[in-house]
This record gives sequence, structure tokens and C-alpha cells, in this order.
Amino acid sequence: MQTLKLWRTFKEGKENFRRNGWLTFATVSILTLSLFIVSLSFLLGLTTHLILENLRDKVSVSVSFNPDVTEGRIFEIRDELSKYKKEIASVDYISRDDALKQFLAESGNDPVIAKAIEEIGENPLLASLVIKAVTPEDYPLIVEQIEGSTFQNDISRINYAKNKKIFERLDYINKTTEKTGIALGTIFIFIAILITFNTIRITIYSHRQEFEIMRLVGASNIYVRMPFVFEGALYGLVAAVVTAISLFGIAYYIAPLTQGALPQGNFMNLYIAYFWPVFGGLILLGITLGVLSSAIAIRRYLKV
Amino acid sequence: MPEDIQPIIRFEKVAKTFPPDIAVLEDVNLTILPGEFLSIVGSSGAGKSTLLKLIYAEEDATSGEVYFDERPLSHINRKHLPFFRRQIGTVFQDFKLLPQRTAFENVAYALEVDGKSTAEINEEVPEILEIVGLGDKMHKFPKQLSGGEQQRVSLARALIHRPKVIIADEPTGNLDPVSANEIIQLLLEINSFGTTVLLATHNKGIVDTLGKRVVVISQGKIVHDQNKGKYILN
Repeated sequence: MQTLKLWRTFKEGKENFRRNGWLTFATVSILTLSLFIVSLSFLLGLTTHLILENLRDKVSVSVSFNPDVTEGRIFEIRDELSKYKKEIASVDYISRDDALKQFLAESGNDPVIAKAIEEIGENPLLASLVIKAVTPEDYPLIVEQIEGSTFQNDISRINYAKNKKIFERLDYINKTTEKTGIALGTIFIFIAILITFNTIRITIYSHRQEFEIMRLVGASNIYVRMPFVFEGALYGLVAAVVTAISLFGIAYYIAPLTQGALPQGNFMNLYIAYFWPVFGGLILLGITLGVLSSAIAIRRYLKV
Repeated sequence: MPEDIQPIIRFEKVAKTFPPDIAVLEDVNLTILPGEFLSIVGSSGAGKSTLLKLIYAEEDATSGEVYFDERPLSHINRKHLPFFRRQIGTVFQDFKLLPQRTAFENVAYALEVDGKSTAEINEEVPEILEIVGLGDKMHKFPKQLSGGEQQRVSLARALIHRPKVIIADEPTGNLDPVSANEIIQLLLEINSFGTTVLLATHNKGIVDTLGKRVVVISQGKIVHDQNKGKYILN
């Protein structure tokens, strides 16, 4: 019997949702906008975070040695550096020949470049050690140590400064997106609650007389109230679905910009990979917002 | 009146005062037996509606006690009020129908809130609408029905729970004489099956032809109470 009653109040709420037309449209729109902003800032935050992680893996310090430094000397230095296991994860030796092979491979085995190198007559590239730190924060320290070490005269150059700038900028973007997302999300959630609250309040006002009638024929308070709770939940549910679909649209436009920068490939792939958790979160948040706003309106305006 | 029958409704020294100090009812003592047809008459503002509201617990007595089936109404928990109300059918001057529901749905609503199954509803509602003579109009909305027909929907809804008491507050106030008479005839028919009927009205003609018990209220007090009474106003 309780399930039957629950089902009836649900149908009633569904009817209210359908009949309110314009009000329903306005409420769902603003709820959608709020959910959209919240979820988009979450996804963008996730994107910058993943790009950053991805780059962190790629970051390394490459120490190039003067052409007159022997291979044996470089091995000595490598062994010396390998002792700092707490800070340094790996030290890889790249010989002059390896460096040339890599360079040619990266330039797509361009015959023009290969010919140019041939003309020079000797390999113009330097042998180097590629150092990976355990944590990226340690790079400045490692670089400092190498610069002050006994073998500093053997070193041609250390290419770290360039990576460092990119690294810092991304970190900054990541933190800014996060802050902006939280601020905007909070504002819009607040607006959404206010508007949903008002919609339900207006419905309650326009149906005032009916509540009196319902009570007279023996409807319990909860039976009169439940439809509004369901109405609120439906606003949230519809808004969540609309948001999830609109996010596909956004992902479609952002995808080319993020091609290759993410472990998932691009933003669209990322969204697809995280679709169910995001969609579940949207539905949960949407329904919570809808129900919460109706509950406030019922408490304040439905004196039954 | 036989002494051994338990009254269905009893007022014991009931007074009702609205804030700040408007006395609407004073020292009302009234006993209504099961199966009675009681007319309550009096000019506007005499306290007829308030007296009826005390019975279906829309208002509480300021002092004294109202009993329904010898149970004091002041003891009814507000939570249980909906269950109590299902024992009383109410009919009003303004019909009080839900405008966005058909005649069928309006009557069905009273059963839905009670948790009746859809099968029961589909069986009982057409039956009762047939009784009030609306079998062919049950899928019409209130605004597609005449005043008399709307009042019959309202009456059908009041009857659907097979209540012990029907309270009709000026049920003919908005109706033409023919429709009014039809409603009164229906009330008499309902009464003949044993349901207690309380009818508050202004209509002298109706009261006088009924030949039933009449209670006259004036300025919040019962001034006449006669079996087979007439409409008397001081």
C-alpha cells in the first residue's frame, strides 16, 4: 500500500512537472547551467591535472658533456650520481652515436638533414646523461649540486630552465582552474537552489486551494507534500541528463586542442573514460539540489 | 429521543472564540444520533459553519468538548486527522473540486489517498457516480459541468468512503432551485440508508418541506431545537 501511495505521489509530481511548462523550463535551465559549470570546471581541472602528471613523467634533466670528455669519465660521473637514490630515480647514458640516431629519428629521417650532417664530417652532437628525479620538486636541488660538483668543468650545458617554466605555468593554471571552478560552482549552486525554491513556492501558491481540498478528503500531510519532493527530484534528474549531453558538445570542441596532451588521448576520450562517475555525480548532485530546494519551499510555504 | 442509543456527535458546553476576542459560539450543547437528518439554520455569521468545522476538526473548541462516536476530538493527534476525516464526508457551497481532474479523478483521489488499489478504484468510483446520476459524465472536468453536476461530484466524493456522517455546508447556495432540490433529494436518499446528515442552509423553503429536526443558531447560541421543525429566525 505504501509503495502504491508513493507511486501515486510520484505520478502527481510528474504531472506538476509537465503542467508547469514555462516554470519547469526556467528551473531546469538554471539547474543545468549550475551543473554544467560545476562539472565542466571539474573536468577541466582533471584535464590540467592529468596533463601536468603526464609532463612530470616526461621531465628530465639532460647533462651534456664537452666533446673531449671520455666515455670512462662519464661512466664514473654516472656511478657517482646513481648513489643519490633518494633524489635520483635513474641516470641514463646517451652516447654521441645514440644521440645522433635519436636526432635523426625525431627529424623523421629527413634525407636533407642526414646529408647536412654528412657534410660536416663528424657527429656534432654531444654525449649526455639523462637524469630523472624521484620527485619533480628535487630538480632544482639536483641541478644545483651538479653545477657545484668536481666535474663541472666537463659539462657543456644543462638543459633544465626551459622545462622548468612550462612546469610552473601548468601548475599555476591547474590551481587557478580549481579555484575559479569552486567559486563559480558555489555561486551557481546557490542561484539554482534559490530559483528551484521559488518555482516550487509559486506552484504551492497557485495550488493553495487544492491543498485544503486534499486535506478535507483525508490526504495526509506527507501525501500532499511528496509530489513536490518528486517534482524537485525530476528537475535535478532532467538537468543532469541535459548537462551530460551538453558536455559531449563541449568535449567535441575541446578535443582537438588537447590531442596528445592526455594519457587518454584527448578531452573527448577523457570524458568518455570518466563518463559514468561524472554522470552519476551529476544525477546525485542534481537530485540533491532539486529535493533540497523543494524541501525548503515546502517547509516554509506549505502549512498543512 | 431514546436514551440507550449512543450519540454519533455530541457538543458539551462548547465555546469558540477567534482572536482577539470574537466569540463565535457560546455554550453549545447538542446531541446528534446516528441516522438523523439535522438542518442547521441561522443568518450569515451566526456560527453555522464554525459549528460544522468543529465536527470535522478543522477548528478546535476554545472550551468544552466535541465528541465523535463518544471520542473527544481534542484528543485526536493531528497526525491521525486524515484518518479521522475519512469517516466524515463534506460538501460545500463552492464544491471544492480539484479543477485539473475529471469527475472520476476527483472522486478517485479520496480513495487514492487511502491507498486503495487501482482495481478497487475502477470499480467503486463509477458505481458511486452512477448513484448520483453522473455515470455518463465521469470523464468531464469540473468546468465542463453545471453547478448542480459539480455538486453531485462533490457528493459522490463525500460518499465514497461510506462515511458515518455527511456534512453539507450550504450545498445549494450556488444552485438553481431545480438542481438544489435534486441535491436535497440525494441527501435524503443517503440518509434513508442510515447515514447521518448535517445540513447547514439559508434556504427556508427546503427546511420547511423536509419535516426533519431543525436547530436554529443565532449569535453563536442554539435558540431553537425542534424535531420536525421549521425555519424560524428571530
